[in-house]
Amino acid sequence: MAIAKMKKVYLIAHQAEKNDVLAILQQVGVLEIGDLQDKDAGNTAWAELVESDQEQEALQALEGYLTDVRFALDFLNRHVPAKKSMLDALSASKTSIIAGDLSANAVEWKHVSEDTYKALRRIDEKLMSLRNEETRLQNLKLQLAPWQKLALPLEEVKVTTAVRVELGTLPVTEVDPARQALAEVVPTCYFEEIGRDRHDAYVLIVNHNDTVENIQTALKTHSYSKHQFPQLTGTPAEVLERIKTDLVNLEAERKVALTKVKEQAKHRDTLNFYNDYLTMERDKKQVVANFARTGKSFILEGWIRAGDVPNLQQKLESTCETVSLIAREPESGEVHPVALDNKKGFAPFEFVTKLYGIPSSTGLDPTPFLAPFWVVFFGLCMTDAGYGVAIALLASIGLLKIKGDSVRKLLWVLFAGGLSTIVFGWMLGGWFGLEIFGAPLVFNPLLDPMPMLTYALILGLFQIFFGMAIQFVRLLKQGKVFDALADVGLWVVLIVGLLLYIAPGMAGVAKTMSLIGAAGLVLTQGRTQPTIIKKLLSGVLSLYNITGYFSDVLSYSRLLALGLATGVIAIAVNTMAGLLQGPILFVPMVILLVVGHTFNVVINTLGSYIHSSRLQYIEFYNRFYEGGGRSFVPFQIKTRHLEVSPECPKLVNFAGLPLMQRF
Amino acid sequence: MEFTIGLAAAIMGAALAVGLACAGSAIGIGIVGQTAAGVVSEDPDKFGPTLLLQSLPGTQGIYGLLIGFLILQRTGVLGGNIVEMTVHQGFAVLFAALPIAIVGLFSAIAQGKAAAAGVLLIAKRPEELGKGIIYAVMVETYAVLALLMSIMILFNIQF
Repeated sequence: MAIAKMKKVYLIAHQAEKNDVLAILQQVGVLEIGDLQDKDAGNTAWAELVESDQEQEALQALEGYLTDVRFALDFLNRHVPAKKSMLDALSASKTSIIAGDLSANAVEWKHVSEDTYKALRRIDEKLMSLRNEETRLQNLKLQLAPWQKLALPLEEVKVTTAVRVELGTLPVTEVDPARQALAEVVPTCYFEEIGRDRHDAYVLIVNHNDTVENIQTALKTHSYSKHQFPQLTGTPAEVLERIKTDLVNLEAERKVALTKVKEQAKHRDTLNFYNDYLTMERDKKQVVANFARTGKSFILEGWIRAGDVPNLQQKLESTCETVSLIAREPESGEVHPVALDNKKGFAPFEFVTKLYGIPSSTGLDPTPFLAPFWVVFFGLCMTDAGYGVAIALLASIGLLKIKGDSVRKLLWVLFAGGLSTIVFGWMLGGWFGLEIFGAPLVFNPLLDPMPMLTYALILGLFQIFFGMAIQFVRLLKQGKVFDALADVGLWVVLIVGLLLYIAPGMAGVAKTMSLIGAAGLVLTQGRTQPTIIKKLLSGVLSLYNITGYFSDVLSYSRLLALGLATGVIAIAVNTMAGLLQGPILFVPMVILLVVGHTFNVVINTLGSYIHSSRLQYIEFYNRFYEGGGRSFVPFQIKTRHLEVSPECPKLVNFAGLPLMQRF
Repeated sequence: MEFTIGLAAAIMGAALAVGLACAGSAIGIGIVGQTAAGVVSEDPDKFGPTLLLQSLPGTQGIYGLLIGFLILQRTGVLGGNIVEMTVHQGFAVLFAALPIAIVGLFSAIAQGKAAAAGVLLIAKRPEELGKGIIYAVMVETYAVLALLMSIMILFNIQF
């Protein structure tokens, strides 16, 4: 359990074997590669010896391919969604492939992917131009709509040798004044209103060329503006008809283009594989930027779990000739990335630990300590055996179906919580809000909540003392005996002393203990301060922390409140369903029961999960936890659709390993 | 069913507990929803985590409903056998509802704001969902304490 032992690793090899080394490191996936670039920046001898290593060109080329493949995948998924429910997505199995076959397959994938990309790119452009054309036609349609009744072909709207034909608009209120004004100034002109909408009237004016200026002057005061439709032939009604057929044709073309996308969907798997492959290659080129190089060799540094060193060494040496791997213990004060290694039963609870953060590399992995408390708290927050069965059942179905590692951890945690809920529900609650199997075994907090409150607070006190014990042992192990006694021991003395006041006949002992504790704290808590007065002052002030302990213990009262909430809502659902009686109301009653209880389970599982975790993070961690660690992220294969396995067993066998050692 | 001033006061307690706490939850959830919709407009994949954060200020409404239900049950309004109670007892029940009514209203709004900030947090750092949830849950503690006090008072009123 606890935080894995780490070793610092240096790896030196010949440039010619760089690709092999990288492939092995990625395949084994146990080494976190650190940045050597600005290491020893001030050290001139080192700086003269090495330069930064990088493979910029290859990296850029790969990035380019990746962009293309991802465009193709996005485009496919947008137009032809892969039909998958969320459960399918979580349980999707990867396609297995042997590492040695990767590059051979990649040639084929590259070929197919490039063709698919080009085809999809063409369809994308086609769709885009269709969309533009459609927008243009729709706009034209809007512009022409008011002119629909014009019987004149639009190409006739022009200036001939003798006559000018013109279309224009003016505000609805100006139509009659304009008509009068024209009749007065140019009696020979023809003025017709073609149509109108809310604001504007659409008019046709025909007049002799000699009268153009007079008409312009007459219309000036009536907000008249000229309207033109260049390059259109036929009457507006005819044009509109043409637009209609054009739009239908466009839609048909769009459908054809979309079927073409569907045809390409058969390459989706290949695109996904190639995407994975390219990502792997890209990662290999990217990590090179962290290396340093000389003329012929390169060096990298990193962190590795101590237990993984021999395995990596053996793998590297069996393939590469020039590799030298040097591993050393971390120097004191050297911060290393943190990997959590817990026994099988506790490992799922790393999910709860990681939700808060990673413990510091000098700290302690809280996972095995918080796990039992978490399970008990979850059960107390739910306190309904029926709900416990439901949660455990759903979690186990999920465990059978779902493959994602971190989701499985969460499901295991919920499964344990479900079992605990059955136990506590049996002892203190009902089955779906009913007492099918008689009254709760121990007592019913719904009838008398006070004892339950006491138990919740005692449980809280126990966890807080447990946290203090952890800190006590930790300080002892670090050789800080005085710190352990003063910072943890004296608080225990004070708190136990204060608690004893409740116990009958213990007042004398209580008084002595709390006085010793308090006096000790006053004397010791200010010991880092420079002057005597400051020492005493900080000592006295430290007593204020008693409120922290007090409120932390009270915080555990939520166990009672949340437990009651689940039970009462369950009863409320049953009571409401009970009001629906008779054969006609049977179906609504069942629906109400199912929906009501489902809602209650979901909302309370969320609440119980969060509150059980919170009691760990705030109340428990406060006693001993040291956070701020950095998660260990080894350089490894990150694929979503490919499962890359090392060589098949037979080949490894030929490489000279005895069979027994492998299995 | 005979109505007395005491019974009316008790029913007012149930009404306040449900009314105010649910109003608080509605406002709180609304606040988170506004922020969440903005984040999802940029990244639709964040619907799940933002929905989780949005659900957090909903618990106050449930606590209010819980106390309302308990009051109706203890006074017998729900079963039809109304408990005999004095004016003083009825008002005591009304006061029992006040902690969750008042704290439910304000804490749900405050929690909504904290959760909305959590939504903004995961917009930039999706891996920090846990911390966003914890910030919001810190607010909820006080709603839980108020709920607890309401329950304690209610169960200790003898009819």
